[in-house]
Formats: sequence, C-alpha cells, structure tokens
Amino acid sequence: MTKQKLVVIGNGMAGVRFVQRILEQDSKAYDITIFGSEKHAGYSRLMLSSVLQGESSFEEIILQTKEWYEENQIELFTGETVTEIDSQQKAVCTSTDRRIHYDKLVIATGSSPFILPVKGADKEGVISFRTVEDCREMTSVAKRFKKAAVIGGGVLGLEAAKGLLNLGMEVQVIHISDSIMERQLDQQASSMLQQELERQGMSFLLGKATKEITGADRVKEVHFQDGTKIAADLVVMAAGVRPNCLLAEKSGIQNNRGILVNDFLQTNIKDIYAIGECAEHNGMVYGLVEPLYEQAEIAAKHLCKKPTEGYSGSVLSTHLKVSGVEVFSAGEIHSTPLTKAIHYFNEVEGVYKKILFRENKAVGAVMYGDTRDGARLQEVILKKKMLSDEDKAGLLKTRDPADSPVASYSFDQPICHCNSVSKGAIIKAVQTDGLSTIKEIKKVTKASGSCGGCRPAVGELLAFIQSDTFDQHAAEEQAVCSCTDLTEDELVHQIQVHNLRNAKQVREKLSWKTEVGCPTCNLALDYYLGMIGGSAEKKGSGSQHEKINDSQEDGFTLIPQLYGGEATVEQLKKIISAAEKIPGVKIALGSDQRIHLLGLKKEERSIAVETLDMPLRSLTDNSIETIKTDVGNQICQCDKQSSIEMARRLEYILESLRMPYRLKIGLSSCMHNGAGSTTKDIGVIEINGKWEVYIGGSSGRNARKGQLLSVMHEAEQAEELIVGFIQYYRESARFLERTWEWMERLGLVHIREVLFDQEICHQLISRLLEDKEGILKQPTKAPMPVDH
Amino acid sequence: MQLIEQKAVTSTTYKTVGVDNPTTEGRLCIKGMNAHQHAIHRERIKQPLIKKDGEFVAATWEEALEVIGSRFKAIQKEDGRDALSVYGSGSVTNEVAYLLGKFARVALKTKHIDYNGRLCMSSAATAANQSFGIDRGFTNTLQEVPGTRVIILAGTNIAECQPTIMPYFEKAKENGAYIIAIDPRETLTTDLADLHLKNKPGSDVALANALLKIILEEGWMDEDFIRERVNGLEEAMEHLAGVDLEECIAKTGVSYEQLYQTAHVFSQEESGMIFTARGIEQQTDGTEAVRGLLNLLLVTGKIGKPYSGYGAITGQGNGQGGREHGQKADQLPGYRLIEDKEDRQYISEIWGVDERDLPGKGVSAYEMFEKMNEGTITGMLVMCSNPLLSNPNLNLVKEALQKVKFLVAVDLFISETAEYADVILPASSYLENEGTMTNVEGRVTLREASRPLPGEARHDWKILCNIAKELGQWEKFPFKSAEEIFEELRLASKGGKADYYGITYQRLREEQGILWPCPELSHEGTKRLFTDRFAHEDGKAKLAVVGKTKRDKEMLSPEFPLYLTTGRVMAHYLTGVQTRKSSSLAARNIEAYMEIHPDTAKKFHIKDQELTSIQSRNGRITVRSSYSEKIRKDTVFVPFHWGGDQSVNRLVSDRLDPFSRMPGFKVTAVRISSDL
Repeated sequence: MTKQKLVVIGNGMAGVRFVQRILEQDSKAYDITIFGSEKHAGYSRLMLSSVLQGESSFEEIILQTKEWYEENQIELFTGETVTEIDSQQKAVCTSTDRRIHYDKLVIATGSSPFILPVKGADKEGVISFRTVEDCREMTSVAKRFKKAAVIGGGVLGLEAAKGLLNLGMEVQVIHISDSIMERQLDQQASSMLQQELERQGMSFLLGKATKEITGADRVKEVHFQDGTKIAADLVVMAAGVRPNCLLAEKSGIQNNRGILVNDFLQTNIKDIYAIGECAEHNGMVYGLVEPLYEQAEIAAKHLCKKPTEGYSGSVLSTHLKVSGVEVFSAGEIHSTPLTKAIHYFNEVEGVYKKILFRENKAVGAVMYGDTRDGARLQEVILKKKMLSDEDKAGLLKTRDPADSPVASYSFDQPICHCNSVSKGAIIKAVQTDGLSTIKEIKKVTKASGSCGGCRPAVGELLAFIQSDTFDQHAAEEQAVCSCTDLTEDELVHQIQVHNLRNAKQVREKLSWKTEVGCPTCNLALDYYLGMIGGSAEKKGSGSQHEKINDSQEDGFTLIPQLYGGEATVEQLKKIISAAEKIPGVKIALGSDQRIHLLGLKKEERSIAVETLDMPLRSLTDNSIETIKTDVGNQICQCDKQSSIEMARRLEYILESLRMPYRLKIGLSSCMHNGAGSTTKDIGVIEINGKWEVYIGGSSGRNARKGQLLSVMHEAEQAEELIVGFIQYYRESARFLERTWEWMERLGLVHIREVLFDQEICHQLISRLLEDKEGILKQPTKAPMPVDH
Repeated sequence: MQLIEQKAVTSTTYKTVGVDNPTTEGRLCIKGMNAHQHAIHRERIKQPLIKKDGEFVAATWEEALEVIGSRFKAIQKEDGRDALSVYGSGSVTNEVAYLLGKFARVALKTKHIDYNGRLCMSSAATAANQSFGIDRGFTNTLQEVPGTRVIILAGTNIAECQPTIMPYFEKAKENGAYIIAIDPRETLTTDLADLHLKNKPGSDVALANALLKIILEEGWMDEDFIRERVNGLEEAMEHLAGVDLEECIAKTGVSYEQLYQTAHVFSQEESGMIFTARGIEQQTDGTEAVRGLLNLLLVTGKIGKPYSGYGAITGQGNGQGGREHGQKADQLPGYRLIEDKEDRQYISEIWGVDERDLPGKGVSAYEMFEKMNEGTITGMLVMCSNPLLSNPNLNLVKEALQKVKFLVAVDLFISETAEYADVILPASSYLENEGTMTNVEGRVTLREASRPLPGEARHDWKILCNIAKELGQWEKFPFKSAEEIFEELRLASKGGKADYYGITYQRLREEQGILWPCPELSHEGTKRLFTDRFAHEDGKAKLAVVGKTKRDKEMLSPEFPLYLTTGRVMAHYLTGVQTRKSSSLAARNIEAYMEIHPDTAKKFHIKDQELTSIQSRNGRITVRSSYSEKIRKDTVFVPFHWGGDQSVNRLVSDRLDPFSRMPGFKVTAVRISSDL
C-alpha cells in the first residue's frame, strides 16, 4: 500500500504534538508535510515569557530540531503560509504559490492576539505578546525607553508585565475588570496575587477601559474612557486571542468562533481536521495546553485507525506559576447561593485555598501559594466524586508523600504482589528510565499490571520519588573491582559467552585494566571460573593435603571428619593411634564439635594422615561449616536423633563443596530450636512431625532471622530442598554474597518457585552431586559416611 | 546447561545459558507457565486406579468400569436406588453438568445429586430467584461496570479472588464511581474503596436493614419505580419500623455516619451496582443478607437500567453454567424444577423416560454426607470435586467417607477425597476438554480443546457415558462429542428460565459468547435483564423482609471468644488440588495461616509466625499465625485451600441456611492458643 499524504498547517505546539503522536501511533501510515508561517522552527509559546524574562534562550524552547524532521522524513516549510485550501481537488496553495496534494489535512493554525479596536492601536510601540519577534522587540525597547503599559490583566498580560519588569521598565497593568485574572481566580486569590505583584514592582490600573492611544509616530499616552490617562513608551496588547480561522472560512469550512469540529476533531469537510486554539468543539475554544494535547492525541489515533472514544471536551483548569507564585484553579470559581465553600487562608505563609461544593460534589477550586493538591482536586471535580463531609474537609489537607507507608518500606519489600515487583525495582525503573506516570511504571515493571490493587501504592511511591524529600537511590550495580568496569553479573555472562577458562584469558579478553588483577578480582575469578565449567578441584575446597592447616605458628592442625559429630569406637581408636604416633600432640574439642589434633610438625603430617585413614575436615574459608545440631542441648528432653542423622547425611554430601561464602547450617529436632536454626544460613526445626526449613538467617554481627522457605513432611524432602537450595545459591550468588543478601536480591518467592519446581530442583541436585563426584575422583581417599 | 539467575528490571527471571554454546541464551518466565503447570504435572493421574488392599493399583478401563458397574448395581440392590449419590462440580463444562444431572436421574435413577456450587453460589442464586424471579449471576454485562456511579462490594475480594475482572472496577473508580466495600478484613479490594464498612462477621442482614431504613426514612427512594415495579413495600416498612438503628450499629460494629454515608451516596447517585460474594452468602442467613442488599436496588430503582444492577461474583470457572442444568438436587435443565409437574413432563420427553420414573428432590451437598454417615447413602460418584476440604464440619464428612461402601472419584489428581475412593478415573483438564462455560455475566462461551488427552485419561462426559453403558443404559447416553450433548441441552433448556435454545457451537465460534436467555436462533442474547419486567409472574420484583426470624448463628462465648472467617488467597483456587501443584503458585503461599490483629494476639499470647491451634465446637486445626493490622480485633481469618490439620472447614458447624442450604462458612466462634 502506498502511503497517504498528510498535510499539517501549523508548526506550533498543536501541529508538532500531533505529528509526534502520529509517529507514535503508526510511523508508517503517512507521508507528512508541515507548513509554518513563522520562519523559525516551531517553539513552545508557553515558554515565551521565560525567554522574555531571560530564563531561557530561544534555542531551549524549540519544539523539535531540524534533525527530528529529517529523521522522520517530515517535509517542513517554514516562513510559508497556506493561503488556500482546495477541498475539491484536495490540495493546499501557499504564499509561495506552491500547491501540494493531500489525502488528509489537519489545520492547526492556532490564534492571533486580539488588538483592541481603538484609535492609535497602529502606532509604533504598540505590540502584542505572541511571537518570538514580540519578545525581541520588547527587549530592544526596554533598552531605550522607561515606561510600559500592558493592556490585559490576564495570564498573558501578567507574564508580559513581569518580563518587562525584569527588563528594567516601569510597568503598569491596565485591566478592564476590577480584579486581575478574574477568569481563573476569585476575589481573594486575585487580590493576594495583585499585592504580591505590586510588591515586585508592578502597578495596576483596574476597571479601566482603553479609549485611545496617542502620540506622534510612537505611542506617548494611553487614554481611558473615564477621562484619565497615563504616559507610556510601549503598549503591550494582551487582551485575549482570536482563533485563526480565516483560511478555513474562505475554503468553505464551517466556523463559529473557531473551526467547528466533532468528537474526532473532523470538520464538516471530509478528510479535513482541526485541532488546537483554532478549533471549536461543543461551543468551546480552548487556549490552554492540555486540551490541545488531548485533541492532538485523539486526532492522531483517529487518523491511524486506532480505537479512541473521541474527545469529550476538557475541564478547564489552570495551573500556573505567575511571577514565582503558584496558582491553580479549576471548575467554578465564584460562590453562588447554591454552593458551599471550604476555605483555608494562611496569611503568614501566603497560602489560600478554596473548594466549592454543590451538595456532595466538588465543583470548583482555587489555590494560591500552594498548589500541590491541584491534580487531586481537579480529579475530584472532573469525576464528580461523591464526598462525605469528612472527605470534603480532608481535601484541603495536603498529603506529604514522605508520610505514606510505602516511603518507609525497605527496598526489597514488594509493592505489587501479583507480579512481585519490589519497591527497589520501581525506584530503579523510575530513575533509570525516567518514568513519570503510573502507566509507564506499569509498562516497564508490570507493577499494578494484574489486579491493580497496588495502584494507589504505586502512585504514592511515585509521588514520593518525585517529591523534594526523596533522596534514596536504587543500588547501582557495582563493578567487581577497580580492575574492570564489569559488574559481577556481566562478568559471569562474558565468561560464558567467550568460553573463558582461566583468569589470564579473562583479563586479556575482557580488557582488564591491570595485568595481574587484584586480590578482590582474583578470588572472585577463581570462584566463578571454578563454578563455570571448571575442574572438579576448583569446585571443591581443596585436596586432602590442603586440609591440613599450616597457618598456626605452633604447628599444623588435623581434624578427622566425623559426620554429624557422631563417632564410632573404630574411628576413635584410629584417632588415638594417630595421636600416639605423634609425640607432643595436643587433642582438643573445637567449637565445630570435632576433635582437633594440634601442633603437628611438618614431617609428622603424612604419618598422621596415613594412620588416621579417614577423611579430614576442610579448613578453607568458603565451604559449609560443621552442621550444628541440638545434641547435648539440655533445655528439653526431646529426642535429638533425627537432627544427627540429617546432619550426617548432609555433611557427607556437602563437605568440600565450594560456596560463595561460608555457610552455616543448624538442625533442631524439636521446637526448642537447640541448634539456633532460625539464625543460620539454613536452619531446620522439626515440629509436629514436619520439617520447617528456614533460610537467610545470620548470627553474625548483623544478626537476622531466617525466613520460612517451606514446611516438608519428610526428612528426605527437607534434605532435597536444602541441597537444591545450596546448589542454586552456589550457581547464582555473587562471590562473597551472604545467603540473606542473595535472598534479598532474588526474592523469597522466586527462590521457592525454582525449588518447588521438581524438574529444576532435581537438576540442581544432580549438578551438585556431579560436582561432588568430581571431588571424590580426586586422588584422595573417598570418605564413606558412617552407617549404623 | 548452566543455570544462572538474572535479575531483570521487572522481576527476577530464571534463564538458561548454554555453557558451551552462547547462542542458546534465552529466558524462561516462570510466571507465564503457571496456568499449565497443573495440567502437565507429573502427579497427574493418567490411568484408572483401583484400590486393592489399601493401595491404588493401575487398572484398565474395562476393569475399572466393570467394578463400578457391578458395585453400583449391588448397592442399589441391597440399599435401594437412592443409596447411590452423585457429587458434582461448578468447574465442569455445561455439557458435563447437564449430563451428570441426567446420569443421576436416568442411569442411576437416584434422587441424590448435588454439587459443590451449593457451598458457593446457592445463597445468591436463591436470593435472586426470590427477589427477581430468576438467577443469572450478573443482571448486566461487565462492560457496564465502568460507567456506574456507585458500587457496593459486599463480602467480595475481587482483587485477590477474581483479579481478571478487576480492571472493570478500576475503570469505574477512575471514572469517578464511589466504591463501598463491606468486609471484616482489609484486603486489596477494600484498598480500592472510598468507604470500607469493616463490619462484624455475619452481621450483613442487620447492615442491609439499617441501610434500607435510612433510605426510606430520609425519603431517598425512587417512588415511581417502587409503585410500578416492586411488591412488598408495606410489609417492609412495617418490619423496618421495629428495627432499631442503634441495635444495628451495635450488631454490625459500623458507625451511624458510615451507614448514613452509604445510604446517602447509594440512593443519591444516578446509577449504582451491588456485587456480592461468599463473604455475605456463606452464612446461615446468607440468602437473607443478599436479599437485604437487593432491597436497596429495588427501592432506589437501580436495576433494569444502564449502569445499574446486581452481580454475584462467581468463584468457580463455570459456577454459573454449573447451576443451571440439573446438578442441583431440586433442579432440571434450564432452571426447571424437579418438583414441578410440567417441568418433569417436558424433561422426561426429552430424555425418553416415563415421568413417573424420574426421581424427586434430593438433599443438599452437605446433607448427602449426613445421610452417608447415617448409612442411607452407601455409594457415591464424585466428579472433579474435593468435598473433604470444601464442606463444613469436615470431621463428619471424613467419617462418612470412611463408612461409605463404594466411592468413585473422577479427578486429575489424587485429591484428599480421592484418597478414600475405591476407584479413581482419570479426567480431562481444561486444556483438553472441549465444551461450553457460562461466565459470571451469564455469557455462554465455547472453550476449544488445545491439547490431546494425556495417557489414558478420558473426557468427563465420556466417562459418564461409559458408566451408563455398564449399567445397561447406553441408548440414553449415545454421545460422541460434547457438541452432541449441547444439542440435547439446547432442547432441554428450551422454554426454561435459562433458555439456551438459540445458542449453537457455530454461533459461539462466531459471536464471542452469548448471554442467556436466548430462546431463538435469531435472538442476539440478553445483555441486560429486567429492563421491562421482572421474572415473577406479575412482572414485579419482591421486596424482602429480612432478619425477622432469628437464625441459628455461631455466637461468641467466654469459651469461644473470637470470630473465625475464611476465604481465599490470590495464588490459589478452590481446595487447591490444582493450584497447590503449581510451583510458582505454591511459592506465594506455602501453607495456611491465621491472620490476627497484633493486639488480639498479645491478649492470647500468640507470637507472630507461630504455630497456633484454633478450636471450635466442631474441631481443631493448627496453622501459623500472621500478624495483621487489617483485621478486626474480634476476628481471625484462615484461608481454606489447604487440607489435613490446616483444613479450616473442620471448624465450621453443620448449620445451614434454611432457604439455600448453604453452610455458614464465614463465621465460626473459636478459641486460639499457642501450639507450643
């Protein structure tokens, strides 16, 4: 299908926003051409006052760069005005006699300032405030002249006045009504604003109708209907705007005040649409930016044949910053006999709020000084929400997002339970992807994407993130060490992708910054390379020889392995005979519930090992510590046999395996928890014939309680779960990552999901056993478990 | 393969990376697989099992059917026809529900058939029948929900139990609807509400009366609507004159201001909807509680109009369809009544049997187990249901199942109930089973099969046909497909209240579902009920007098000082037979628990996350405590998906609602103590 031709008349805020939306909806639907009368790129008129006040440069308020038009293959004609629409032939003609065919036409010609029809309005020094040229003119006049008069005490007039004030002029604002901004503000707010502006140096002439502007060539005085006059070197007409609908009118498109459009922004002529300030919908012509954006969106959807409910008009609300003062208004502003109001007036801080109610519904609001609740109030008004008296009173209470319960959540606490999205995940998404709405958060993180019950919480969290008090940051993934920029996850991934086998290869291939690495990365690499397709030796914690500790000054230490802390007479005899062969040996019971042979000389080691003829306990750092059972615990009379048996079996399977960090296991055979199972990396308590398995506890300096992983009916199931858990930890934890840190990172639910899946759990167990096999095949004597 | 954990921005995912071949990298989202986990689970039964010496032994279909046939015949010979019973399910298709009713009445000729929907929907169904003259889950389509101005959610936790329909309610809220939730607990649903009436469990009748009284006294009713379309205002007024608001406030624990606000908003907004679910229905006065709320719709004229109406939120996949076509003790297809002469005549013709041979009305689900315990029912066929978890007073149910001479279970897994079976037959899961379902709105949809049957599993309808044949009734059950059964169902429902005659498989394939009644092939279905008339003979609705007769309810006492209420958790479904098998769903809730307010817990010396014994007049269970500030201080909550000593329904008494025969699951008086 060939693309249809879409012509847009108007390169202003409406036209450009509309084209952006078209590209979003369906970038392949149309060939687009835009005409703009002004010769500049399209800019944000909203920001003109900021340019005038010197806060922004013109470049900063440009809507889209030249490159954007090029990238999107949009044909742009600036400084070229469309003069005629030939709706019969479906073509537009321009001021340069260009004639272009269209399939669809969108009129976004905006509006022009209303110049008062008074004598002298054409004199030099009488200008409007609409274009960037107007701004430039004002800036240059301000350098030469002193006195400025702004006709119009509405939003635009006040912005112009403020700009001129900043440019060093004396500014008088002339307004026909008795109060400024009377369409947006009630009497109270209006007078507060006036006082503030007067404090800033503006002066006001209210209730004055302009009669004539006098002067030779250049303006000199402004005369009023009441006979008074003032001197002025510059007059800015800011008394409203008129929709630009002349072009439409002469092309046979129906007009009233603006170009008449239906709910899909279509004019009475087929394939011609109108949006923005030039359009009239349902008797309303909108001059604010939100309605314009809504219209652009709906017209774009309609033109791209996407479902839309159509435009149903916008509730007028104003949220502005006038000369540094926040003002807000929505709906009805002035009290009537049928309305009741709630006021808040704080003269000290200069804050005023009013909400108008008709029976149980809010119908309007005005706020001055503090408008943080604007969006909330607007919603209540728009949706005609039923309100109790209590609700009404509550509307004026500003909620500090930092008081919301979600503000005090820890990062790993879930906000969305359906999709298990944590607070941290949302913060991270908001910060890294620059999200600003609940909808965007939903799209990126899936939070509130299922049942939606957490929407309020997501909203509160978002408000909190956006508030000034928020200073938390989602933990940035840290690089492994200063030798590389890779994070641990990236490193693991790269090792796999490039099939790297040793540290040297890693450093070369992955552009290490140091030739030999540092202690941090060397240990980490050693661990990861061992875990990823490394030799069995690497996965274990060392050969029999390494199990002899030589770090102590007074000799070597040997620890015969006694699985589960249980010994047979046979084993004790062996230990005794080994000890007898070594003069001066010390025998001690360690805190690990094992017999230690201490103080061996170097040359005595081999004879000792030979005589012992039994496996030795590993002494390297990151392996399973001896399993703590509740044997010998005197606080209860309960049978302790089950924990000894489980300990024996687990120790046999798990000994010598390398861990990301040393791992503590506690097994209690009764509810009295004699092994302190709830403060171990892995803990088991047998209660009522069932086995409760806890994970992620710690009895270290940062003591923490383990969380219940599951409750198993058989000891064997509990052991499988533990072995599966350990293997998953070994495979996916970072080097030196504690179980609780790892658990916090992955989430308890995720760990359960993996382990409760029988297939995955069995794969994990068999991979652990493979590693174990490999260790057993090392040239040391295979230990056998004690069997009764 | 090397397994690596990877934490994506959204959630933790599990991916597999080929160690030797990096191109096999790919992600596997665990959550996406949940729905299918139970259907493809390794413990799924794939062939018939016969219990021999206490052990289940694999058998051929011939053997299993032969055993069933001979045992059924023997039982009926020894103990009479009605000694056999059928226990159905709201999770089966319309075709199977229909066939099960026919199977009981025609193949077994027993009056004893009922189904688990009795424990679920019966109060709402009875109430709608009494007030409106017809029972269709929603009187309007779901599409109308977003446009309504006020919503009352009574005893329904949609966000956690039916998250799929939640968006309609959210949309309504976004559009400015005022949402009022009635629930003793704070839930994800009450979080959405503008007003939460956190009433005492079981106080819904008093609540409804208080609201009605306020509306009538303030003159907020729609007088024209009442005059033209509603009967019974005078009786209601008379009764309400004797209702004391202060007493209602004391009974419900809800303040006058909140009651007033509810009555005011509901009557003053231009449209409104009420939704109820198990929270108010599973009570010994559940029917009255629902009718009390329907009164509010009737006096304010909020029914039969756009954006105004009633909805009973269904718990089971086919809770609506399951109750329309004859699984219920007193019903025949199309909502016909088994005690109605004309209805009997019509159905016997369709079934080709003598009207005099059709059995009469049987007893309700739980009462069948009472009869079993007494020894009058000695055999049962349980279809896709787990009554040993879902019934009240489970100790009795368990005893009954131990006594029964012969039990057949048709299921996907060996459920708690199936453990007691003599024969287990492997059924089909939703992935393999073609058939129609009727959703909460009364919308009939066709579900096509998407997987072949595993092993020797058979379609549920096929199993019934097989047994019928074994009993010498094959000519009445000659069906070769689900569609053939549906064709008979169309005829059987023709002219009934739930009229499916105009619905065919072909139309369902073309039209995305049709709302009944649909009496003609050219009829487009009925989106909104009661636009012109109600279904009672005179076309008017009946305002109900509720709470006049005191119902036998669980009361607190020094011995049993706390209310216990039960419910679901999001990750699980029904008795959990299916969902507990799914690893990721199990990961979210590994066991039952007791939600308790910390202040209450301290009073009873219960620590957080501690095994706690809960005892009622009927039994005792042990579950872990879980502190929550979201529950009333006089109430504890336990979800009901788990079995064994966590089976909360062991505690529930055998008292039934006099109209719907619904047990009072939602309120039991209990005492609690630390198990240690």
